[in-house]
Amino acid sequence: MEDAVWKAVQEQCPDAHQVDLLIALPSFNHASTIGSVLKAILAGLNASFANASILIVNADVGSQDGTPGIVKQTVGDLVPVAVIQPLGEGSSASPFALNRLSYSGMPGREEAFRSFFVLTQRLQAKACAVIDANMRSVTAEWMSLLVKPVLESGADYVAPVFRRPRYEGSLTNNLIAPLTRSLYGKRVGCQVGGGYGFSPKMASTLFQKKFLWEGEAARFAIDSWLTTVAVAEGFQVWQARLGAKVQDHKAGAADVATSLVQAVGASYHYMEHYQDVWEKPTASSAVPEVGKPMETEVESTPIHVERMMKGFRQGLRDLLPIWEVILAPETLAGVLALGLKDDEDFRFPLALWVQTVYDFAVAYHEKAIHREHLLRSLMPLYLGRTSSVVLETRGGGPEMVQHTVEQGCQTFEAMKPYLVDRWRFQ
Amino acid sequence: MSEMWQEAMIAAYREMMNRAVLFLPKLMAMVTFLLVGLAVGWLVKLLLMHILKVVRFEVFCERMGLTSALAKGGVKQRMSDLIGRFSFWVVFLFFAFMGVDALDLPATANLMSAILGFLPHVIAAILVGLLGILLANFSGEAVLIAAVNAQIQGARFMANMVRWGVIIFTGAMVLTQLGIAKEIVVAAFSIIFGGIVLAMAIAVGLGGRTIAKEALERRLRREKAGDEFTHI
Repeated sequence: MEDAVWKAVQEQCPDAHQVDLLIALPSFNHASTIGSVLKAILAGLNASFANASILIVNADVGSQDGTPGIVKQTVGDLVPVAVIQPLGEGSSASPFALNRLSYSGMPGREEAFRSFFVLTQRLQAKACAVIDANMRSVTAEWMSLLVKPVLESGADYVAPVFRRPRYEGSLTNNLIAPLTRSLYGKRVGCQVGGGYGFSPKMASTLFQKKFLWEGEAARFAIDSWLTTVAVAEGFQVWQARLGAKVQDHKAGAADVATSLVQAVGASYHYMEHYQDVWEKPTASSAVPEVGKPMETEVESTPIHVERMMKGFRQGLRDLLPIWEVILAPETLAGVLALGLKDDEDFRFPLALWVQTVYDFAVAYHEKAIHREHLLRSLMPLYLGRTSSVVLETRGGGPEMVQHTVEQGCQTFEAMKPYLVDRWRFQ
Repeated sequence: MSEMWQEAMIAAYREMMNRAVLFLPKLMAMVTFLLVGLAVGWLVKLLLMHILKVVRFEVFCERMGLTSALAKGGVKQRMSDLIGRFSFWVVFLFFAFMGVDALDLPATANLMSAILGFLPHVIAAILVGLLGILLANFSGEAVLIAAVNAQIQGARFMANMVRWGVIIFTGAMVLTQLGIAKEIVVAAFSIIFGGIVLAMAIAVGLGGRTIAKEALERRLRREKAGDEFTHI
């Protein structure tokens, strides 16, 4: 695959042996959006990197709507551009790819990123920015926000942070980010998609680490593990405040359970790999951020918790035999007691939630039941906790939600010894 | 008269002694086979249980729901104990049949070959049975979790249907493999499954026609009762 990708670029851009910036766009039937994305990118490059040598690479995984043609047409002669097909070695036929496909909404996304990492290495690029072709909210400023920290401040990985309504990204805010923070000691938002910035060091490391692409890891979408691996490997992580996130495909909206399996599964999976890193006690620290400060918005439509509560109560009724295997007895007792509360008085205590997440991590490690089943059976508990957060905070403003999320992060950190003890001595 | 009686007695005695002399080594061979069978069976049992312990077979069985499935069926022993005991009896019976064969009795002349001929069917039936139970538990669990996450009210009923469906199917395969009442098994299986499908068709067609219509409409029009926010 490595040589094929390089050959494809060389054929289209024979003069591109070394560049300063590699701008990469993975795409699949994104004809309706990729033109405007490219225009914003070109404006950004013109404004911030007018003197840099640049190559734009579009990794298209078989669009039927003429996406590659639009790329060539939009870029024209302004910047060298190459269109490659990243799929190779039968990777598209992997049965494990089905889950991550429905999560990211794009086939071959992981192979596209791998191709970008190869090209960053081969072209000796000083930075690589990956922008999703389905984004409607890309602005010229994104280029500077994603690339400058790498070029000027020594960042290895620039993760995106978006302005969102207060309950948006509930799984990320209540589970993934606090877990990552307590494990690896970095206060990162763990938001996914849109745009990323990579240093050549990070790109080359990610490409060379085979465990990220093979075996069980191949089940997880790249967006679900990029930040985790970056902080676990000790890379210089920055966050870029990119403003609003408007995209054609709403990731995670189709199937919450699949999103949960992908995001939580990746976190648990890499806990096994980076055990030596996270087992050490660490106090968390903030990561540098670029971009204008953003305020959390209030949701435009009121959030109804009835459906989520129903999901939690059904889980309590039907999944008890499975939870008995996964949860520690005291955690299970706490969860059972929640079933006695009325909907309006319902509260899923934070400490109990953290204990639940840690128990699931230990059970995942111990392979207490089939791992996919284990992750999916977390779903009703997650709905219970999310309902509780909404009920606790809906009277207050966005700051109250942020305060609750921060409290969650601190509790995750404070209860880390519980996880370490159970992980070691279960 | 007396001489004739004496000769007859002596001839009978000699005949009996000859037979006894011929039979005794066979009897001793049988006893030896039984003793060796006991020893080898015990050794195989110990070895197998040790290997199963090393490869954490018990944990695997718990994970796959085999232990709980056996417990539900009233079997309280550990799976590795059961396998150990089974291996002992297989080895012991193997030697016992060799012993019986060594007796060279007309009634047991083809016993060993008949048993050896049937053994593959028994082993295949056991394997099919074990795999069937594993598959039944796995499928039942998967359906239960998926149905709960989809907030379908009859989640447990659906999971049980799938689990018992696979178990019945496995039972039919095991009996067919053992050659027990093949025709009856096939007929009974066809009737049961055909009946279930017919019952479901009638239930959906008559009783749940409106619900099925609405569900199909929702699916085809991609109407989802989704949450008001994204989770990732």
